[in-house]
Amino acid sequence: MDASAAKLLGAGLSMGLGAIGPGVGLGILIGKALEGIARQPEVSGDIRTNMFIGIGVTEAVALYAFVVALILIFVA
Amino acid sequence: MAERTAAISSAVRGKRRLPRLLWAVVVLVPLVVLALLPGGVKQQFEIAQEFDLHPIVKLPKVGPIDLSITKAVIYLWITTGVICLIALVINRLLKAQPGRFQYSIEFLYELARDGIAGSVMKSGRDTWFPYIGSAFFFVLTANLVGLVPLPFGEHHQLAFYAATGNLNVTIMLALFTFLFTHYAGARKNGPVTYVRNWMPKGAPPVLREFIFVIHIVSEIFRLVSLSVRLFANMVAGHAILAVFFAMALIFQNYLIAVVLQGGSVLIYLFEIFVAVIQAFIFSILSAVYIGGALDQEH
Repeated sequence: MDASAAKLLGAGLSMGLGAIGPGVGLGILIGKALEGIARQPEVSGDIRTNMFIGIGVTEAVALYAFVVALILIFVA
Repeated sequence: MAERTAAISSAVRGKRRLPRLLWAVVVLVPLVVLALLPGGVKQQFEIAQEFDLHPIVKLPKVGPIDLSITKAVIYLWITTGVICLIALVINRLLKAQPGRFQYSIEFLYELARDGIAGSVMKSGRDTWFPYIGSAFFFVLTANLVGLVPLPFGEHHQLAFYAATGNLNVTIMLALFTFLFTHYAGARKNGPVTYVRNWMPKGAPPVLREFIFVIHIVSEIFRLVSLSVRLFANMVAGHAILAVFFAMALIFQNYLIAVVLQGGSVLIYLFEIFVAVIQAFIFSILSAVYIGGALDQEH
């Protein structure tokens, strides 16, 4: 395998594997938030705010993988 | 009367109704024709070129800093101009009975003040709302301006680019949050107390220093995550949009072109949602960090 093929393969793998964890995490996070809203609709505003904070933090993990993929393709 | 209209409508429907087979033909024939049509002009397309920054106006270097005006700088100016324009217009036209425009701006202002700053900061909302509000409006406007095709691309007449899709801009924004966090904490609690509070009081000696180091590392990673999150979201969104718009050139097939142009509209709508959400997340995390520095846990 030549170096550029390995680079592209590594970029694809890093993005794909890196998206698994955040995907599961976002599913759990939003599911639990909806559960909380369904149980207590009166605090739905607070739950939604905190859900977005959590989404931001969880999503960042997938975006690190995205940045690694970009670095592998264009910089490395 | 109702029976009569029902009868008429059913008659109309009966006249218009086509046999199922004909419907299948009507749908399938254009698709097959589209799929079999020979592709258009062969064209090279590199997604990475969409993010190239060539100087539009060349300026001299000052030390290591290149002062040339690129696409990113122009987008920053546009963002600033749009914010200033909206602020001036809304200030002139303030009315006791708000119209639709004023109501929407008031809604955003209230979201920034009560929804973002007020909901996560225990104290100091009024002191720090100006920063958090302007961060929210700046990121929001920069993200939304990035979704308007403007004639600054090098390779096409109209191109997408966002000021926040540039790591330099987002790192600067994150640095402001970082500096304001520690400035706010040091000013309210006193610098020595502020730093000492990073060590939990009840913990045993070695563990305490360990937690102190972990805290410093996490502070630095906040800087990284805050900037990279915004940057990567914008770049990923624009890359996906570019891929969808360019799919026709890549596959050289009209069927794929037609289907994916429809898909690109959906992606575009999703990108508008992402633009708003990212502005919200950036400012709410800034508020969380500054609020955490103001009211430290001991």
